[in-house]
Order: sequence, then structure tokens, then C-alpha cells
Amino acid sequence: MSLVLDILIATVPLLVIFPTLFAFTTWLERKALARIQNRVGPDKVGVPLTRYGGRFSLFGLGQPMADGIKMLFKENIVPRDADRLFHLLAPILALIPAMLVLCFLPLEFPWTDSLKPVQAFLLDGAVIFFFAITGLNTLAVFMAGWASRNKYSLLGGMRAIAQMVSYEIPLVLSAVVVVMMVGDLNAKEIADFQTGGKWIVGNWFLFTPWGLAAFVIFFIASLAETNRSPFDLPEAESELVAGYFTEYSGFKFALFFLGEYIAMFAISGLAVTLFLGGGAGPGLDAAPWLSVVWFIAKIFVLIGVMIWLRGTLPRLRVDQLMGFAWKFLLPLSILNILVAGFAWHATQQDSKTITVVTWVISLAVLYMTAKGLNQLNRAKVRPRNYRYAE
Amino acid sequence: MTEQIAFWILSAVAVLGALVAVRKRNLVHGVFALMLFFAALSGLFLLLLAEFIAAVQILVYIGAVGILLLFAIMLTERVTGDDDRRITSRGWFCGVVVAVAVFFVLLLPPIQQWPAPETVPTPEPSVEKLGQRLMNPYVVTLEVLALLLTAALIGAVTAAQGKRLAKGEEPPE
Amino acid sequence: MSLLGGGILKGMAVTLRNFVGSYFDRDRLTTNDYAWRAGDSLPQHAGEYPKEEGEQLRDTTTVNNYSRNFPMLLHDEGEPMDSIRCVACQICERECPPQCIYIEKSEDKKERGGNKAQFYPAKFDIDVSVCMSCQICVEVCPFDAIVMNSQFELSTPDRFGGLLLRRDDLLKSNGYYHKIHPEEAAARDQRMAEEKAAKEAKKKAAAEAAKKKAEENAKAEAEAGNEKQEDPQ
Repeated sequence: MSLVLDILIATVPLLVIFPTLFAFTTWLERKALARIQNRVGPDKVGVPLTRYGGRFSLFGLGQPMADGIKMLFKENIVPRDADRLFHLLAPILALIPAMLVLCFLPLEFPWTDSLKPVQAFLLDGAVIFFFAITGLNTLAVFMAGWASRNKYSLLGGMRAIAQMVSYEIPLVLSAVVVVMMVGDLNAKEIADFQTGGKWIVGNWFLFTPWGLAAFVIFFIASLAETNRSPFDLPEAESELVAGYFTEYSGFKFALFFLGEYIAMFAISGLAVTLFLGGGAGPGLDAAPWLSVVWFIAKIFVLIGVMIWLRGTLPRLRVDQLMGFAWKFLLPLSILNILVAGFAWHATQQDSKTITVVTWVISLAVLYMTAKGLNQLNRAKVRPRNYRYAE
Repeated sequence: MTEQIAFWILSAVAVLGALVAVRKRNLVHGVFALMLFFAALSGLFLLLLAEFIAAVQILVYIGAVGILLLFAIMLTERVTGDDDRRITSRGWFCGVVVAVAVFFVLLLPPIQQWPAPETVPTPEPSVEKLGQRLMNPYVVTLEVLALLLTAALIGAVTAAQGKRLAKGEEPPE
Repeated sequence: MSLLGGGILKGMAVTLRNFVGSYFDRDRLTTNDYAWRAGDSLPQHAGEYPKEEGEQLRDTTTVNNYSRNFPMLLHDEGEPMDSIRCVACQICERECPPQCIYIEKSEDKKERGGNKAQFYPAKFDIDVSVCMSCQICVEVCPFDAIVMNSQFELSTPDRFGGLLLRRDDLLKSNGYYHKIHPEEAAARDQRMAEEKAAKEAKKKAAAEAAKKKAEENAKAEAEAGNEKQEDPQ
């Protein structure tokens, strides 16, 4: 029984903290997007139950709760020709992998010291597991699109599969660089490897040329993996109504929404683990529990950038999307592995000059390659020849 | 005790998934049942402490093979999947014979070793050891495989690129 | 040689400027509260619902000179049906992109406002749950009979019947139009007056020309008659 108890202690905090953060993030996203577009955003719904004792609207922080209640009470509409079983299963399947991968983030809660055997991130293959389970999200999206019996949904589902399968490759290949450097697939080992550098950030992989390149590739690919703008083609509002969840309403829709945001947290968490030093931050010696706070704060920085990008960039076209994955990110990430291999051997010499020279050379090589690939992929735009419309 | 319960649940799910995958007329349902079977199998690997194989089982079989199957169905069959044609072929009896034969061949090693020896040396399959083996004795094989995959990738790109246009030639509309 | 990804960074700088600016510069905000307190000047933009108790929603028809919601039918002064401008020509029905207008022509003709007798719409329904406020009906109407209303408090518990506006719901006076969209209505009235004047002038000119032509014809005929007389010599 104590095993079951241990498992509960290890997992329940994840199941409480991240959905709460999800609610906060929806509010944050709406506010930030509104401000980017010179609007105010939700600012009316306040703290619940304070209506009769003075009102605190608190910048509309009650909005997520109001949204949640609304979602719960909405009518559940299933199209007549839909596959009822799959229509029901798809949102659940969308949420499960997203929740599951949270276990592979090295979040060290203060009470988990005694829980060594049940912590998934201590597995030797934690990072591989992470990628394997994130890939399951594709299935849920396809299932939803197919079960709805709607051409827009099906198109969204097919787009989602093509996109996620394509971007998974640069995602994994960019993470390989970090695994090579650390020599371990264990998430905790990877995070610990980056602690204790100069000014805390000294050992972070973000601050090496190959790490920077890998981080940029990883971040772009993770945007595509989580269907975030500018890669939100599977749910492109202006083209496909709402893509694969066009036919979803009420709580099923809320589950999709939750799954999407949890997936965002998870993949940002992996980026933090791989490149931003996990829970490393000031004040850890005095209070080790701060590492969780730092970890989540770093996740929120990445989420903030995602929101910012969503407010800035227009959506890609399908051919641009595929071209970008296969012709730009993939060659660059493969080259990055090669560069990182050479650089690792060079920096083993333990000489400052060699290190600096390696850094400069690898940065130049990576930048010039990216530049060249960009030039190569530039669409050959020429005036269009209208042959029939005269 | 917990392992026992998990084992029986996973086995039941695996058998159920496999049966549904074979019996379902609706191809998309069949593929998803097959994926359920793969997932249960991955869980069984995990129970055997073969975590790397479990992860690869999900990554390759569900993430790649399953999706490939879905793509194939979407490109060939009617996408709705409600096709009522019988897919049992006339030679089903031979199929049953072959299936039973294969099952017994698979069963042969455990039967030969019956009763099981008291102390089985539990192997320690770890990702680290696997990596060491791949990088030391089998490194040539690994490199050859990597080369093969790269060649396949380049080949796919070339095939997808289509006909190269001569100078001044108009692209087909 | 530009920086790789520089365009994205430039775009992000623009949005960041908006983000920060919207907190300091109130003029940037395209929305604001229109809860009405005594002494408030009219806000320039459409806004939001009352925030605090005691505030009341302003008359929702006078939000803005240029705001528009769903179409309405205009009539001139007097009894609505006696001065309705619509002649049931059904051009708007045909042009409506989402096809939310339904018109039934009257059997008889009716004289209105001193013009000659015309058909009138026996039925004129607009399904506002379908209407997309595109204003194409307004642009195609040759009689200036349909214009955009700015009434938006249309919520109803009845999903089907409540959102189907009938002819009598749609009929609004020109005075009301002047109240909600003063500039637009004044411009429209002026244009209509000019057109009417031009039409009358043209009519007059045509009548004169006809008269002149008749005179000329008569003259020519007379001459021809003279010639005829002279002809058989």
C-alpha cells in the first residue's frame, strides 16, 4: 500500500499544479494578446463570492473560472454521423499523454526525497520516453478529426499528422546534442549537469553555440508540435473553422484546450531541462524547494515568448511549413550534431584559447549554414503568368 | 503483487486489442485497436525493466508504423472507413494452421526449459549498457545503418523533388 | 547582409511596443468603457458593459456615428407603411451573400409621398442570426430604402423566432436614422435631393427638347408640305 501512497504523493501535485497554471495561462494569454492589439482584455470577472462584500475585479483573474463553469454546463453536441466512441475518446486521449509526460520533468518537490522508486524522471530513458509519449498526441488529433465526420475536421487532422511527424524529427535531433554532451538520458542528470556554473548560468547549454542553435531549433519545433501560432495550421480558424475540434463543444472542447496547454507546459519544461539548467537559480542553498519555483518560472518565460510570437506572426502556408521542417531545420540540426561532436572533443583540451576558437568557429559555421539554407529555400518569386483569365 | 496485477491487466488489454484489430471491419478502428495492443506490449516491456525497448516500442510502432497505416488508409480506402466488405479470404483454414504452428514454435523454448531453473540470473538491461554495446562492439553496424538511413532520406528528397526543369522551361501548372 | 530572423525580431519589437505602450498611453486603446456617467463626453469608440453597479448602459443606438450592426428599413415622415421607401424590387435579396433577406412582393400598388404608385413589401424578413453586417444590401439599394442600424441589444431566449426580424420590426423613420448616424444620414439626404433635382431638371430639359423637336418637326412638315405643293408642276 505504501507504494500506492508514494505514487499518489508523486503524481497528485502535478495533477493539481499544472491545471491551475493552465487556468492562469489562459488569462495571461488573453490579456497579453489584448494588450498587443491595444485592447484591454478580460477585466470584469473578479474573485468569486465577493459580490456582496465589495467587488475585487483583480484584472479579471476570475475569468478562467467563469470560462470553466460555462464549459461544464454547455450542451454536449455530437454530430449525427459521427463515430460516437472515438468522438468521446479523442479528447481523453489528447489529455493523457500530455499529463503523462509531466512526470518526466525533473520537478523536485521538497517532499519527494523519499520517493526515489516512483519518480519517472529518474528512469534511464526519461528523455526518450518523453518524446515517445508526446508523439501520441498526434493520434488524438487524428482521431478527433476522423470521428467528427466533417471535412474541415478531417483536413485539420491530416494536417496535424503531417506537421507533427515532420517536426518531431528536428525536435529529437536537437535534443540529441544535449544528450551527447551529458552522456545520459536521465532528466535529472541532464539538469544537474548544468548547475553550478559561473553566475549560475555558466553551464547552461543555451550559452554555447551548438546549444543555442539546438535551442532555437527545439523551440521552433516545439511550437509546431503543440500547434501554436505561427504553426497552427491544424486549427486554422480562417481556413478550417476550428480544424480537428470543429465538432466539439462543452467539456470535451475544454479537455482539448487543457491538453493543448498542458502539452505546452510539458514541452517548455523539457526545453528548460535540456537547455536552461532545469531548476537552477539563486537561493537554492538556503531553500532547496526554490528549484520548483525557478523551474516553473522558466517555463513561464518560454510560454510568454510563445504568446508574444502568437501576437506577432501570421500563419504559415502548408508548403512553407513542410519546406521549413525538411529543408531548413532538419539539415541544420544534423549539422549541429556534427559541430557539437567536434566541439566537445576540442573543449576537452582544457585550454582557454582552444575553447574560444572552437566557439567562434562553430558559431560561424552554424550561422553561415542557416543563412545559406535560408537563401536556398527562398521561393523563386516571379510575376504570375495568367494564361486563362483574359 | 502490484506487478502481478499490472501484468494481468496489460495482458488482457493486449489480447483484446489484438483480437479487435483482427475482427473489426472498420479499418480505422482496427488500426487504433492495433495501437492499443502496441501500447499494452510496451507496458509489458516496462514491467520487465526493459525501459528502452518500451520507449522504442511506443516511438516506432505507435508513432511511426501506426501513423503510416493511417496514412495508407486515408490515401486508399474510403476515408469514412465504414466499408462492409468481408475481408476473410477463402484460405482462412491455412491461415489458422500457420498461426497455431507459429504460436507453438514461439512457445518451444519455454517448454524445453520446463520446469524453470530456480535461480535465473536477472539481467540488468540499462540504457547505458545498451549505449556502450552500440558504441563499442557494434559501432560499424550502427554507422552502416546510419549511412543507409541518410541515403534513404536523400533518396526520398530526390524522389519528392520531381523533374528538374531545363533552363527557360515553364513549370507544369 | 541582414541578420537571419531579423524580420521576426523587428515584428516582435513592434508588438512589444504596443504591449508596453497600451499600459501608459490611454489613447492607444481602441476600446473603452461606455458605461455612462453624467458629464461624460461621448467616447470615440465602441466599448464594454457597465463595470459597477449604478452605472447604466448608454442608449445603445447612439454609440458611434460609424458603428453598424444589422440593416433596417427606412420610411419618411408619417405613417410607416404610407411612406416606406422600399418598392420590393428584391435586389438586396438577390445580392445578400449569406441570403438572410426574404421578401414577398405585394399584390397591389400603393401611392407614397406624391410619387407614382409602386409595389411595397408584403413581407420583409431579415434573419439576423445569419446576417454578417456586410452592408451590401445598403450599397445596392437604388431607393435608399435600407440602411444599417446600430441597435445591438438583440439577445433573446428564442433562438429561431426571436432572431428573425419582421418588416414592422425593421421599419424605422428617417428621423431615427438622423439620430444614430447624423453625418451619414445628412449626406444621404443631400445626395437624394440632388439626384431628385437633377432628375427633374433632366425631365424639364427632355420636355423642352421634345417640345422643340415637335416644333421643328411641324416646321419641317410645313416646309415639306410647301415643297409637295410646289412639286407637281
